[in-house]
Amino acid sequence: MIEPLVAHEPADACPPRAANLADILERVLDKGIVIAGDIKINLLDIELLTIRLRLFISSVDTAKKAGIDWWETEPALSSRAARDALAEENSRLRDRVEALERQREEER
Amino acid sequence: MTGAHSVRVFAVCHAAGAAPLAGLRGHAGGGAVRRLRAGALAAVVQAVPAAEFTPEALRGHLSDRASLERFARAHHEVVAAVAAAGPAVPVPLTTLYADEDRARQAITEAAPRFLAALKRVAGRDEWGVKVFATAPAGGGAEAAGGPPPAGTGRSGRAYLDLLRERQRARETRRDTVHAEVERIDAALRACAADARRLRTHGPDLTGAQHPQVLNAAYLVDRSRSAELAATVAALRGGTERGAPLRIELTGPWAPYSFAEEDEQRPAERAGGGGGRP
Repeated sequence: MIEPLVAHEPADACPPRAANLADILERVLDKGIVIAGDIKINLLDIELLTIRLRLFISSVDTAKKAGIDWWETEPALSSRAARDALAEENSRLRDRVEALERQREEER
Repeated sequence: MTGAHSVRVFAVCHAAGAAPLAGLRGHAGGGAVRRLRAGALAAVVQAVPAAEFTPEALRGHLSDRASLERFARAHHEVVAAVAAAGPAVPVPLTTLYADEDRARQAITEAAPRFLAALKRVAGRDEWGVKVFATAPAGGGAEAAGGPPPAGTGRSGRAYLDLLRERQRARETRRDTVHAEVERIDAALRACAADARRLRTHGPDLTGAQHPQVLNAAYLVDRSRSAELAATVAALRGGTERGAPLRIELTGPWAPYSFAEEDEQRPAERAGGGGGRP
């Protein structure tokens, strides 16, 4: 497991060796100036992608399953999505009611 | 065994820069970490066993967590030491050349970008700020869509009302957190020369209990580091608007996130905030 992160005061000359691995990885993997090297490794290679996914990409599905979708950084989007879901359910229910009513009409 | 060697590049600085490189280990099993002149620039490089840096070997190393950590920390240690001694621009972990001439050529070709970046970061450090939402008590449970509490009656309308209520409560919490995050970001930008939004780390890394709601980097003049720290301290004391948040400050870092012009990578558009104010 990744060790808990320690916050450092500006007095420190540079981040101690105990800097959080996730913080280091997100910087050394694809930050800095990218220049074409002789030994090409595509950072989207599947294994690396797996690592990065595991580390950095918050799966909305996973979060939703865990019941923590309320923090999403795009409230406008996610609220709309939530409202859309309700509206969709609503319209499905209306359709069903209509169908049932039609059925009853026909049965008479 | 003296096999073929490749040249691993860590960072680029001004040729006149004089970062003390003695004692830096770089890649275990590589040669001494040293300076390679390329016109007005100097690259901090190391000869490494070519066999360990073929694309296949490298993929293997970077796919193994322990090995990835060794590579990443070795890179970071050298970059941090060079950046602590003067303006320096990091290059990514997998920047490798067949020999010194090829490395020199690549850096010379990219010289304008390096020089612009060195100018941008001179006298400045990168600081990382991460904000976590510490979920309100019971917030997770009601958001999880558990069974309706007893006594809500059995009518469909009551049930739908309950769902709507929960949804509204969730949205309110989300909006409060979002507003707090924007306020924190604005306060920190005021101390910074530049700012970037990074990807927020997922729950695998942070734990589902404390989702990360902001992961940002700020480029701050060294003369203003204390001001940044004071601002963070004030923000910690001032999350009085009811959003329980934890703010973490890390740094100083080498200016990893500010090496490239802000070209709005999709990953940095979280919350639509990236870029300049």
